[in-house]
Amino acid sequence: MSAFRRLLSWFRRGASLPRREADLNEELRFHLEAEADERREAGLSDRAAVASARRDLGNLSHVKEEARAAWGWSFLDGLVQDLRFGARTLGSDRTFTVAAILSLALGIGANTAIFSVIHSVMLRELPIKDPQRLVQIRQGQNGELTNPIWEQIRDHQRVLDGTLAYSPERFDLSEGVEREDAQGIWVSGGYFHVLGVPAMMGRVLTSADDDRRSGSASNQVAVISDRFWKRKFGGGEVIGRTLRVNRQRFEIVGVTPPWFRGLDADRSYDIAIPLAAEPLIRTDRSALDNRSMWWLYILGRLKPGASVESAGAQLSALSRAVFAETLPADWSSETQANYLSSKLTLRGIPTGFSETGDRYERGLWTLMGIAGLVLLIACANIANLMLARASARQRELSVRMAIGARRLRVLRQLLTESLLLAALGSAAGFLFAMWGSRLLVGMLSGPASGVAIDLYPDAQVLAFTMGVTVLTALLFGLAPSVRATRTQANPVMKESSHGIRGRTSRAGLGKALVALQVALSLVLLVGAGMFLGSLRKLLAVDVGFSKDNLLLVSADARQTAIPDERRVAAFDDALQRIRAIPGVDSAATSLITALSGRGWNGRLEVEGFVPQTPRDAMAFFNRVSPGYFHTMRTPLLIGRDFTQQDHLHAPAVAIIDASSAAKFFGGRNPIGKSIAIRGPAKRPAEIYEVVGVVKDVKYASLSEAKRYSVYLSSLQDPLGSSQISYEIRVRGLSNEVVPAVREAFAAVDANISIGFGDMESQVDESVRLQRLVALLSVAFGVLALVLAMVGLYGVTSYSVARRRSEIGIRMALGARAASVVWLVLRGVAVLMLIGIALGLWASIAAGKLVESLLFDVKPNDTWHIAAAALTLAVASAAAAYLPARRASRLDPMEALREE
Amino acid sequence: MPPKDPKLELLQGTLDLLILRTLRSGPAHGHAIAQHIRRTSEEVLQVETGSLYPALHRLEAQGLIDAEWELSDKGKRAKFYKLTRAGQKQFTAEENKWQQLSAAIGRVLAGSTGETP
Repeated sequence: MSAFRRLLSWFRRGASLPRREADLNEELRFHLEAEADERREAGLSDRAAVASARRDLGNLSHVKEEARAAWGWSFLDGLVQDLRFGARTLGSDRTFTVAAILSLALGIGANTAIFSVIHSVMLRELPIKDPQRLVQIRQGQNGELTNPIWEQIRDHQRVLDGTLAYSPERFDLSEGVEREDAQGIWVSGGYFHVLGVPAMMGRVLTSADDDRRSGSASNQVAVISDRFWKRKFGGGEVIGRTLRVNRQRFEIVGVTPPWFRGLDADRSYDIAIPLAAEPLIRTDRSALDNRSMWWLYILGRLKPGASVESAGAQLSALSRAVFAETLPADWSSETQANYLSSKLTLRGIPTGFSETGDRYERGLWTLMGIAGLVLLIACANIANLMLARASARQRELSVRMAIGARRLRVLRQLLTESLLLAALGSAAGFLFAMWGSRLLVGMLSGPASGVAIDLYPDAQVLAFTMGVTVLTALLFGLAPSVRATRTQANPVMKESSHGIRGRTSRAGLGKALVALQVALSLVLLVGAGMFLGSLRKLLAVDVGFSKDNLLLVSADARQTAIPDERRVAAFDDALQRIRAIPGVDSAATSLITALSGRGWNGRLEVEGFVPQTPRDAMAFFNRVSPGYFHTMRTPLLIGRDFTQQDHLHAPAVAIIDASSAAKFFGGRNPIGKSIAIRGPAKRPAEIYEVVGVVKDVKYASLSEAKRYSVYLSSLQDPLGSSQISYEIRVRGLSNEVVPAVREAFAAVDANISIGFGDMESQVDESVRLQRLVALLSVAFGVLALVLAMVGLYGVTSYSVARRRSEIGIRMALGARAASVVWLVLRGVAVLMLIGIALGLWASIAAGKLVESLLFDVKPNDTWHIAAAALTLAVASAAAAYLPARRASRLDPMEALREE
Repeated sequence: MPPKDPKLELLQGTLDLLILRTLRSGPAHGHAIAQHIRRTSEEVLQVETGSLYPALHRLEAQGLIDAEWELSDKGKRAKFYKLTRAGQKQFTAEENKWQQLSAAIGRVLAGSTGETP
């Protein structure tokens, strides 16, 4: 019969499975009745007739199975049967099932949670049209380019099928004094078109909106995201409405669809504004013609059929022309030569940008590794449990094989049971993963960082979970099952607890697994200790100032009418008012807030100091008001602080930190000496007189290497910076002071926009990753320990149960309880030692991988390893003690009597 | 697994033939088919239930016989099988093959007497 017909009939029959089953039963019943009738007619009694008929019929289930096999149901029917049987067995042994599902859920859940985050942040392709053809144009390795370069590329390149430029920016949407932040992007006119993003409502930006020559009014348009639309406007009518961006009016012309969140994987953009409108916002600091301001990301789309390499080569040929056109005139000839010889390069970015991904890549993969180890431990646990169970079911399996079940069939049933367990475990794990990944994202983002990771289960994450599940099922289902069905029926059915032959090998596998678990737990515990120690050291770093009760205010005067030359005075005015507020201990301003990650550097020239390399002369700068060091509680070592007398018409002064004094001046007293600061421009170096030396301070981050800092006076700022920070040392609660601070600024100028923060949060933000890794590694370490101990407990119990008669004999011969306990513990101790040795070796190997995440902690620090090993030893002893004690309490008579 | 009755091994393919032949005389249920084969072979061929029903279901799956639930002569419900057109053709072909086979075996057996093995 043709295969097609068979398949067809298989489907038809399969569809009416229960009816077929009933039919078959009835048919065989009829046959049985008929046979019995025959025998009754031949003279047998009723009961004898039925018995005889049944005997002749043979094995009823076998007949049924053969009949069913004829229909080709075999596979499907068998599967259903296996599942039902499996469910029943799992339900009857509830402790095992719960323990197994829990182990699996935690292992699979943790892995999936971390993988979802990694996937969202680093691996997921942008949901735009053809993300594989999206490329980024860079200058060498530098991804941020200037606007003049962009305009050259936009107007003259023919290599790519459309280009776009964009830059993320935080905009202030408020109409009052206090800032209302939004995540914005500067975009070129072709941004939406090149990416293939249509408008959900209204229209998207076009090149007409991004035309610098057409006058500012036509550039004052904005496109908003779906998310922002719902959040700010509640999903109401929005096209044509006005939005204030840094106090300028913009008209909303369109809303993008919900699936488009911008090019940053870890953020969602709120507002997109044309590049041409930039002068309106940045006013006199406009970067559109600035050849030294590096802020734009330039992307493009490959032509169909082109490859990144071929397009890259073609683009590279344009480099000379582009850079010649955009050469900054005021640079030194050396830097100019470098600039001219640099090349435009291409790279594919189907996943978009992810600052979180870049920052946390190592951390996230490390966490993934840790979760993987935990899953391994969980699997080993389950394998052990299954092994023990398989032994217990040995008789049942042998009997089943004896009455006719094929070995493959039994194996299939056991495997199905494992898969069922794995499925249940992964369902629970998936739920746990959803909760866990939300937790992780919560720890990675924060209102200050603006990170908004979009998590949703998608095909890849699902595939990953299922892959892990199946692998787990095979891992812990296969080995015990194969062993269980290998033994011959007879020896097993004759078994008694005396028999130990043939089972030491199984016990050996169990022991090997436990040793593996102990090893892995050691690795995780050592890791947890290292990360925790690293975090502690990081938080204990001497930052050089006092972090508590320090209110930070960022002030922005760009939207005021205050002219440049009056800005310094205006900010100073605000500062004096703030100092007068009751509750304020001290206050000061600075251009750059400590530990904010931002920086300003340049080269120092000091008489008598010869730099080995240009880098050798680098120092970091900040412009601070008088009273800054007092406010920050940074000790002034020698000399004096800035005063009000150090104003614009007085001699230029500077204060340096202790490291700079040591490095640039040798052992000499720097007070009264001069230093010269040179920027990249061809302008002459600025000369400053050193008037004071302060203690070293951490500039941008807690873990940075030594930096050399130079402070200049804010009152001597020739440019009149439009944005500065205020540091306010508060007595008591910051909240009480905030309204008064607002008033102080409002009194100076109503259009100064301010934003509040505090130093403690800033510090927390800078150690976010380390905190996350430390917390999770400790959590996983504890989890691993618990799992390993459960495994150890199980194996020891099993081994004790197996040796009941042996123990009974020993006790009958006079062994004391204590020696029995020692007997059991001795076996465990050996296991543990092997595990620790293995773990040590693995720790050393793994330590090298995570070195970059550690701060001031060497991987495989002896102290950490010793502590972890000790913890393991104590836990193992505790886990093994209970079964050992039970063994010592055995009544010898009972133990021997049981057969 | 206990070894199968050697007699039955031979009948693996020929059981189908016997069933088809039985049904040629008219529709019957499983038990009746087994009885018929037993009687007609004079008690030599005892068809085991374990082989009969699988064979019946196999033949039905192949489309050589059709099944219907009817009332037996005792008034009970039973599954009656009957030959289909395809089954008829299959039977003729199988019967021919069987005749050829048995004739050939017969010739070999007859020709081997008196010769050295």
